[in-house]
Amino acid sequence: MSAPSNSFQPDSTDLDRLHSAVTREKEDLQAGREPASMLVMFLGMVVAVIAGGQFSAVSSKQDFGISTAFNYEVGVDPRHGGGAGAAALDPFQTALKKGAGGYAVCGGCHQGNGLGLPGQFPPLAGSEWVLGGTERLIRVVQHGLVGAITVKGQGYNTPGGMQGFGAAMSAGDLANVLTFIRNSWGNEAPMITKEMVEKVRSTEKRATQWTMGELESFAKANVEGVIPAGPGATAAPAAK
Amino acid sequence: MQTTSSSADTDLQADNLRRAAIDKSVKGPVLFLFLNGAFWLMASTILGVLAALKLFAPSFLGDCPVLQYGRLQPTHLNALVYGWGVQAGLGVMLWIMARRSGQELKSGKSVLYVAGVFWNIAVTLGLLSILFGGSTSIEWLEMPKWVWPIMLAAFLCFAWPMTTMFARAFRPEGFMVSTWYILGACFWFPWIFVTANVALHCLPGLGALGAGINAWYVHGVILLFFAPVAIGSAYYFIPKITGQPIASSQLAQMGFWALACLGGWTGMQHYMGGPLQAWMPAIGSLTAVLLLVPVGVVGLNHHLTTLGKHSLVASSPTLRFTFLGALFYPISGVILALISNFTTGPTLQFTNAWYGFQIVSVYGFFSMSIFGAIYYIVPRLTGCEWLSVRLIRNHFWFSTYGITTVVITSLVAGIQQGGDLNHPEMWDQDFYQLVMNTQPYIIARAVAWGLITWSNIWFLVHLMLMVAGLGRRSSAPTLLHHGHDESPLPHGAHA
Repeated sequence: MSAPSNSFQPDSTDLDRLHSAVTREKEDLQAGREPASMLVMFLGMVVAVIAGGQFSAVSSKQDFGISTAFNYEVGVDPRHGGGAGAAALDPFQTALKKGAGGYAVCGGCHQGNGLGLPGQFPPLAGSEWVLGGTERLIRVVQHGLVGAITVKGQGYNTPGGMQGFGAAMSAGDLANVLTFIRNSWGNEAPMITKEMVEKVRSTEKRATQWTMGELESFAKANVEGVIPAGPGATAAPAAK
Repeated sequence: MQTTSSSADTDLQADNLRRAAIDKSVKGPVLFLFLNGAFWLMASTILGVLAALKLFAPSFLGDCPVLQYGRLQPTHLNALVYGWGVQAGLGVMLWIMARRSGQELKSGKSVLYVAGVFWNIAVTLGLLSILFGGSTSIEWLEMPKWVWPIMLAAFLCFAWPMTTMFARAFRPEGFMVSTWYILGACFWFPWIFVTANVALHCLPGLGALGAGINAWYVHGVILLFFAPVAIGSAYYFIPKITGQPIASSQLAQMGFWALACLGGWTGMQHYMGGPLQAWMPAIGSLTAVLLLVPVGVVGLNHHLTTLGKHSLVASSPTLRFTFLGALFYPISGVILALISNFTTGPTLQFTNAWYGFQIVSVYGFFSMSIFGAIYYIVPRLTGCEWLSVRLIRNHFWFSTYGITTVVITSLVAGIQQGGDLNHPEMWDQDFYQLVMNTQPYIIARAVAWGLITWSNIWFLVHLMLMVAGLGRRSSAPTLLHHGHDESPLPHGAHA
């Protein structure tokens, strides 16, 4: 196991060559004595302040027994369906929050304030189409609507009408957006669940847009379905 | 070198002979460690390719349980850390400590061989145990629990002579920067290794704290072993090759003591939001951000030491690898701060970014510095010069591109994965789909490890030829590129 430390190789008697790697080395020098720049000290302090901010997450509560540095608000479970802890969550609030995100698509025409544009796009706020039967509302958004319609006494006839969003959105997302528009800008109506949208989807398979007349029969109809207990259920017109 | 005074010439001659004698005294153990380390490095990179392939193509290599991702990945990382990292690190530590202290390895060389052999036996059996299903499932400690006393004893066999060399050395103030770090690593590695192993293998009923200790161990090995060895090596070789002194001894002291004081406090922020008492991740997070201070200070010092000599980076293999390694130190520090603070940490937690941090530290920063050291040390020990410029270039560029790709893709994949997992409603996709979304990054990782494997196979061959004494018989160093400024020696004095 010992290295062949004293064995000479045939050509290793040439001392110059044997030690050439050593002789070409540069001398070891004393390190520089100049003090470090004040900028280094200053930047170090900046880092220290940011680092201290990490610790404030716990120290501000003066409680070293707590088990998380995050200020969790027990609320929305981001998982679909609310995850395992769904019982503790409010499905209505969840739908409102998610629906607000989904409304970005609708807001292009109906505007962020839900008032639409006079003469072009009908309003959603206070609209009998939104607050009325859920059967009609779901069908409008699912399949689209074309031709002349009357909303809140005003006539609208936008070329092309409104396209159907059913193919592009999941039933859950569609339900969330509908719940959102039914409970914003002063609107108040029971929530629409994913199951209701699925029910309409399974019964109605049309590929073309509706017209106002075709939908007349659904104007007052509500899709059957269980509404989870909570604010979404109590806002039912029957209860008002 | 040609001095007017003949007595100065004699002094220089004596000094050269003394350094040659030191080199000769550590030759056997150091080459043993380098050669075995290079072998494990190649094994680790091949396993890295296979693990990445299995991650996006699970049916590849069939159903054999030995070759599943869950066994390949820990084997890949353990081979990288213990087979290559600690082993090659010990070789560089031993040589620099002997040189810098001006001490020959007086006795106990056979103990070092025995320790080296046992270390390799332990690593071999440990890795085989992982492959055959005996993994402990503790990150970086997957090898079965009976290997750690053997590895600890082997490590201490190497740490002891280094400590005595340091103790015997003449130590002018501010002159020993690289050996501070190496001496530190000699003490810190046994400390974290014993603490983690005793806590995880011998104490019953740790519960969630065990996970915290495990994360602390991984950070500890990176910050208190890999980092100091690589910094020590850079502090030795950058001045040695540029011929400029370390720019500032004050910065060097700040960098060292800040790392020494902070390195052992971080780690538990890996489980932020988890079932640990909040102060544990909070302290880890604070320290990880505060570590930007020593990281920046050391980076600045290396930068100032290299200043004006950047042409040497092009010509000297040692400086080129060391320069890149030193460049990766601040990068790894920033990545650590990013995955550890409470703002970006929750996004990057438990994602591919964690793998990216491990690789940028162990490979980008540590291994690159160690390659630089090996390119300097080996010609002095074997008495011959590196055979081929082309092989060194090949090693450098394939490693550089490969490691950069692994790190960048892991980080980007981590950001995407973490963002999606935290906000699935934005995507309307289930967990499986989120995993599938990272597939392109994993394919890039497999390709990158392939590049690195290619470079390491040639590195191993090159090193084996050197150890066999088949290098170039020449007094001129193997340089990558001849600069315009010719130094007094005909072929440049900077290898």
